[in-house]
Amino acid sequence: MSGVFYQNFKRHAHGEGLKGHSTHYCAGCGHGVIHRDLAEVIEKLGLQDRAILVSPVGCAVFAFFYFNVGNTQAAHGRAPAVAIGHKLANPDSVVICYQGDGDLASIGLAETISTAQMGLPLTVIFVNNAIYGMTGGQLAPTTLMGQKTSTSPDGRTPAMGQPLKMAELIASLDGPVYVERVALYDAKNRVKARKAITKAIKLQEEGRGYAFIEILSECPTHLKLSPVEAEQWVKEKMEPIYPLGVKKDLVREPWFKPAPPRFEPEEILGYCGADPAESKRASTSWPPHLAKRDLSLKLAGAGGDGAQTAALLLARAAIAQGFDATHIPSYGPESRGGTSYADVHIASHEVLNPAAPAPDILVAFNAPSLAKFAPTVVEGGLIIYDSTLIPAPGPMPAGRQVLPVPLSLLAANLGRPVVKNVVALGALQAATELLPAAALLATLRHVLKDKAALLPLNEAAFLAGQQAVTPVGA
Amino acid sequence: MIAPVRPKPFLQPEYCKSCLRCIDACPRDCITPGKTINPATGLVPVELHLEACNGCALCMQACPEPYGLRPETEHPTGAFDFELEDPARIFGRKELSRPEARDQPDDFIPLPACEPMVLKGTYASAVGALLAGCRHVFGYPITPSTEGSELMAKILPKVGGHFIQAVSETAAVNMMYGAGGAGVPCMTFTSGPGFSLMLEGISYMIGAEVPGVFVNIMRGGPGLGNLGPEQADIKLACRGLGHGNTHAIVLAPGTPQEMLHLTMHAFELSFTYRNPVIILGDGFLGQMTGVVHLPALLTKPGRPAWAVCGDREHHLNLICSIHLAEDDLEAHNRHLNAKYALIAREEQRSDAYRCDDAEVLVIACNTPARMAKGAVEAAREQGAKVGLFRPITLWPFPIDALRKILPTVSRLVVVEGSPGQLEDELRLALSHAGIAPPPITPVQHYGGVLPSQDEILSAILSTYEVRS
Repeated sequence: MSGVFYQNFKRHAHGEGLKGHSTHYCAGCGHGVIHRDLAEVIEKLGLQDRAILVSPVGCAVFAFFYFNVGNTQAAHGRAPAVAIGHKLANPDSVVICYQGDGDLASIGLAETISTAQMGLPLTVIFVNNAIYGMTGGQLAPTTLMGQKTSTSPDGRTPAMGQPLKMAELIASLDGPVYVERVALYDAKNRVKARKAITKAIKLQEEGRGYAFIEILSECPTHLKLSPVEAEQWVKEKMEPIYPLGVKKDLVREPWFKPAPPRFEPEEILGYCGADPAESKRASTSWPPHLAKRDLSLKLAGAGGDGAQTAALLLARAAIAQGFDATHIPSYGPESRGGTSYADVHIASHEVLNPAAPAPDILVAFNAPSLAKFAPTVVEGGLIIYDSTLIPAPGPMPAGRQVLPVPLSLLAANLGRPVVKNVVALGALQAATELLPAAALLATLRHVLKDKAALLPLNEAAFLAGQQAVTPVGA
Repeated sequence: MIAPVRPKPFLQPEYCKSCLRCIDACPRDCITPGKTINPATGLVPVELHLEACNGCALCMQACPEPYGLRPETEHPTGAFDFELEDPARIFGRKELSRPEARDQPDDFIPLPACEPMVLKGTYASAVGALLAGCRHVFGYPITPSTEGSELMAKILPKVGGHFIQAVSETAAVNMMYGAGGAGVPCMTFTSGPGFSLMLEGISYMIGAEVPGVFVNIMRGGPGLGNLGPEQADIKLACRGLGHGNTHAIVLAPGTPQEMLHLTMHAFELSFTYRNPVIILGDGFLGQMTGVVHLPALLTKPGRPAWAVCGDREHHLNLICSIHLAEDDLEAHNRHLNAKYALIAREEQRSDAYRCDDAEVLVIACNTPARMAKGAVEAAREQGAKVGLFRPITLWPFPIDALRKILPTVSRLVVVEGSPGQLEDELRLALSHAGIAPPPITPVQHYGGVLPSQDEILSAILSTYEVRS
C-alpha cells in the first residue's frame, strides 16, 4: 500500500469501521486500480508533498478521501480551470486533474480543450468507462454506438452524437506534449498504464508541458457485467473504437519557470503611471469670472475626432489645478467611426453629478452632434462647433453664445487633421478661460512625455485654436 | 549473487470486495474465488494459495482497493519470514513529523508620496488590486468592465503575475477557485452576463471558503441588454449568489477613488472571512475618469495556513464543498451562518451627508448617489431639510447607521438604476430590524439610464407638496 494513501480514510464516513480502509468504489471498478497506480507513481517520484490532486464531479469526486496530498475538489467539468489557478499560484506544485468522461468530455469540454491548448505543465488523467457512474448509468460522450444506457435505453444512435475520441482530439492540438491512451484489462496493459502516468507526471515536474492520459476503465455495475467480464468488454468492445497507444510525444525542453511575484513600490507605481509628488502645487483658486462652482461640458463627434482625448486632457488639467473633475465616455456600438460623446465636469470642490445632460459648454465636431446636443445646452451656455465641417448649421437655440471655429481647417493647415481636438481645446480655453492656458499646456506636455516628437505640433494646434477666437466677454 | 526475494501478497479479508480481478492477473493460479462469507462485510473474499507464488506483484497491481492485496512486508503483525528487511516496512510507515502550517501574515510596504492620479473606475480598481498584492487575475472580456482586465494584462507579466483570458467566465471563476484555494489574492472584472455565468463558481467558493474579489460593472439587462449603466445586479449579488445558502460582502463604490480603496479593502475582507467579496459598480463608474489619491502602503500578501499550495506543511489541506453526510453539511451551514452573522454585525459601511436634521432622506448608492448628493445640495438651498444616506455595503445593509438617522425622517426617497432592487434590500433590512418604513418615493431608471439630479430634486420637493 502506497504511503501516498492516508493511513486511515478519515474523510470517508469519518474513517469509522471498514470505511476507514476501503474505498467507496464498487467491486472491480477501474478507479481503484488507477488510484493505486497514481499513488505509487507519486510516491516513486518523491512528489507527495508537492502534489495537488484536483478531483472531479463523478465517481472520483471523493478521491480526496484517499490521497495523502494537497487536495481540491472542483465543480463539474472545471478541474482544468481549477488546476490552472493552482499551477499559476504555485508553479512548483505538481497538479493532477483526475476526471471522468462526463466531467472532461461533456460538461467541461471547453475547459479541457482550452487548457490543453494553453500547454501549461499539468497532468490530466482521463478515466473513460463509456458510461456515467455516479448519476447511475446514463449516456456518456464516450458511450459506444448501440450501447444501452439508462438515457439511451434502445442503444446509442447517431442522433445522440458519435463517441468522442478524446485522446485523438487532444493530440491534434498544438499545446500538449504527450498524449497516450492506455487500458487496465490485463497485466500487460496495467504496466503500460503505470508507465504512462509516470511519464505524464515527470513531464510536468520538469516543466516541459501538458500531458493527457486517457485510461479505458471498467464500470462493472453500470455495464451490468462482472468485473472480469467488464475487462473483456473493454478489450473487445471499447478498444476497437478507442485504440490504445501513444497519440503524441514531443520533446520539449523545460520552459515553465515563471518569475515569482514582485512587490517593489516604485516599480508598481511606475507601471501604473503614477508620478512622484511635486513639492509645489498649482493654484487652486476657482476662476472668479465663472459664475458656477461646477461646470459641465459635452464634447461630441464621431469616433476618431478625438473628443475623448480632449475631454481627458481637460479633466487631467483641472485635477492638476486642484479642482475635482470627471469624464464619462459614451460610444456607439462600432469599434471605429461611430458616435463618440464625452461628458466632463469640472468643479471647485466636488463633482456631484458627473453626467452632462444639460451642459454649460458644448464642443461639436460634426453636424449630427451639433444638431443633437445644441438644444440641450443651458441658457447662457456656450456652443463651439467645427465650422469647416458644418458651414451652414441650422438655427441655434436663443440665449446661447455660439462660436464657429474652423477646427478641421486649422488642423489641416498644420499638416495633421487629427489634431483638431487640440485646436478645439485651445479655442475653448481662449473663449472661457476656465483653466489657464499654461495648465492645459503642462498637461499636454505630461501626456506626451513619451512621444516628445508630437509635442510641437500639439502646442501649435492649441495656439491656433486660441488665436481663432476672441475671449468671450473681452 | 542472490536475486532479491520479492514479497508475496497478503490479504486482510475484510478489505476484499471479491471483484476477482486478481485471479485473472495471477499467472500461477495462486488465487481462487472464496467459499466463505466474511462476517464483517457479507462478501466472499478471494483465497490465496501462495505455494507457487514468486512475488510477481501482478495481482496487487490488479487490485482496486488501497488496503486490498498488499505485499506481505506491510502485514500489520509482521508475521512473515523475511530477513534483513527494512524495519519501516515491517512496522508500518512511521508518519514523519511535519511542520504545522501557520498563517504567514501580510507585509505592508510604504509607498512614496505620489501626485493624485486621474483614472477611470476600472483602472482605479485594477491599481487598487495591484497595491493590495493581487498578482493573479482571470477574466473574459465584457463591456463595460474590460479595461480592468486590459490594464492587468499589461502590467501583471512585468511584476511576476499572471493575467489569463479564460475560455469563458465559467472557466475564469474556477481558475479563481484554484488560485484562491492556493491562498493567493485573485480577482476578475466582469459585467452582468458574465457575472451570471460565474454564480455557480461563486457558490462553490463560498461553500469551500475560498477568497476572491469580483468586480461587476453593471450594465443594462436582462439578457444581453445594453452597455449603459444600471444597478440591476443588486438582487443577484445580495440574494442570488448561486445555489444554496450563500452570502458575500457586496461593496458599492461611488467614485474612482472608492473603486481603488474598496478594491483594496475587498481583498482584506475576502481573506479575513475566507469568502468571496463582490464589488458592484455601475457602467458610468467603470468608465468614468476621476481623481484618485494613492494609499500610503502596498500589501505583500502572506499565506494562510489553510492554503492548498503544494508544499510539505500545507499538504493535509483540502478545498472542497461536498459534505455527503447530512449532519456534516448542516454543521457546515451553521458555521457559514455564524460567519454571515459576524459579517452582518462587523462590516456594515455607509456614508451620511447632511442627515442630522433630515426630514427627507434620500437613499442611493454608486453613481446615482452622486446625482443624489447634488440634488440634496440644491434642495437644501431651497430650504428643504434633506439628507443623503449612501450604503457602501449593500450586503450587509448598513441598518445600524440608518436606524440612528431615521427618528427625524418622515419620508424616504430611494434613487436607483433598477426597478426597486435597492429598495427591496432596504425594506428587507428595515423589516428584519423591526422598523416600520416611512413612506418611500422611488426615483428609478433602468435600461441603461441613471436618474438625473433634476429628477431627484423634483422627487424631494414633491414630498413637501404631499405633506402640505
